[in-house]
Amino acid sequence: MGIFALKVQNLSKKFGKLSVIEGWSFDVKRGEKLTLFGPSGCGKTTFLRIVSGLEKPTFGEIQISSQKIGMVFQEPTLIPWKNVIDNLRFVRKNDEKIRNILKKMNLSSFETYFPSSLSGGMKQRVNLARALLINPDLLILDEPFFSLDLATKMEIMKDIKRVHEKIGFTLLMVTHDVKEAIYISDRIILLSPRPSRILKEFPISLKDEERDFSHSSFITLEGEFIKEILSRTSKI
Amino acid sequence: MKTLIGIVALLLAWQIISLMIGATLILPTPYQTFEALIKLFGEVDTFSAILSTIWKSFLTLLLVMGIGIPIGVMMGSNDSLYEFIRPGVMVIQSVPIISWLALVIFLWGIGWRGPILISFLSLLPTAIFTSASGMKNVDKSLLEMAKVYNVSRKDVLKDVYLGSIMPFILATFEVSVGSVWKVMIMAEYLCGGSGIGVLISWARQYVDVPQIYALTFIAVIIGLSTERISRFYAKKAFKKWEFSL
Repeated sequence: MGIFALKVQNLSKKFGKLSVIEGWSFDVKRGEKLTLFGPSGCGKTTFLRIVSGLEKPTFGEIQISSQKIGMVFQEPTLIPWKNVIDNLRFVRKNDEKIRNILKKMNLSSFETYFPSSLSGGMKQRVNLARALLINPDLLILDEPFFSLDLATKMEIMKDIKRVHEKIGFTLLMVTHDVKEAIYISDRIILLSPRPSRILKEFPISLKDEERDFSHSSFITLEGEFIKEILSRTSKI
Repeated sequence: MKTLIGIVALLLAWQIISLMIGATLILPTPYQTFEALIKLFGEVDTFSAILSTIWKSFLTLLLVMGIGIPIGVMMGSNDSLYEFIRPGVMVIQSVPIISWLALVIFLWGIGWRGPILISFLSLLPTAIFTSASGMKNVDKSLLEMAKVYNVSRKDVLKDVYLGSIMPFILATFEVSVGSVWKVMIMAEYLCGGSGIGVLISWARQYVDVPQIYALTFIAVIIGLSTERISRFYAKKAFKKWEFSL
């Protein structure tokens, strides 16, 4: 595998007669931040489920060099009868490390709270803290900002960027939000509707200070990306 | 205060209806019932009958929870096992109590074992099916999360399955506690050697209707207080899982 964290070769997935993923091939370098961008139902989440071992591909091959995979689920998936700290203990029993992560994620004062008393953004932060707790080589984000307001979304995106700079894991995210994709990624793979094929790979060459929703370079790139999506999808 | 007013209103209505009917054989007055109750508490047999019903009910409850919940958990965690065991449990659920009665009388005659077996078989299917539903209702996304993070089977059982089925176990417990007295007293009436049901049976033979009402009153009080006490302690014991309740 060498410098690669993930190698996908001619990957296809069918559910019965329904073809969801068709012939995807791409590589992901270690430490890279890759986003799969496509419309709802194009197999993005299915792909993440294959990477995390919850589904098997119908055809093709996927090679993963990562030993430890952390996953931030679309829904926080916290155990309702366990408080924040016990939810984290469920995946790793190391209180020192847990308290450290909670501190980093500004969750220290919420460690005894139960999920039912946390806001959507807080739950998603715990979800992220749980994924980071295992020191992942590969962090998978499945539309993690789906139900969050803009301010919370920004905070969590900054958290992810900050932790990525420190730890340097490979990041694999799926979304259908252009801003999120550009903000987080080094590269975006544009997908067609189901049965989904790879339409184009889109490198993001923004500097750190340009990764701001209101920065002119960000807005220009966003416009180009939207134009690309519209031109590609109109040909389908 | 409202409860007290409700009780007084109930007693008044009882008094009025019994006076309107005017037949002690059908509905004695509250006073006649109270008299019979005082008389009952003056006899040692009453206390031994109450104790007999209580211990048999507790044993039945223990058997129902101890056998029904593990079977339900096993059924709920394995679809093939569920389909294999379900017909048998449904048969038990559908068999009329009178058929069990014939069986236990042939087997053991009159005594303590018959009422326990009949009560056990009456309550067992509910315990099994409720626990199985609890297992089937485990949040699949939590199981997938556990799989992604390679959480041990032991921790998944303890932290995910147990927490998920806890409300169902509590429901089973509450339903069983609420029903066990009624079923037990009926079973004692039919084939018991001792107990409140047996006293009711004797009172019926002597056409002592006020005593039947007094014994029914005792049964109701035991049933209600046990339900309250057990609910209180069950909630306390299951406090750890309060956010799933």
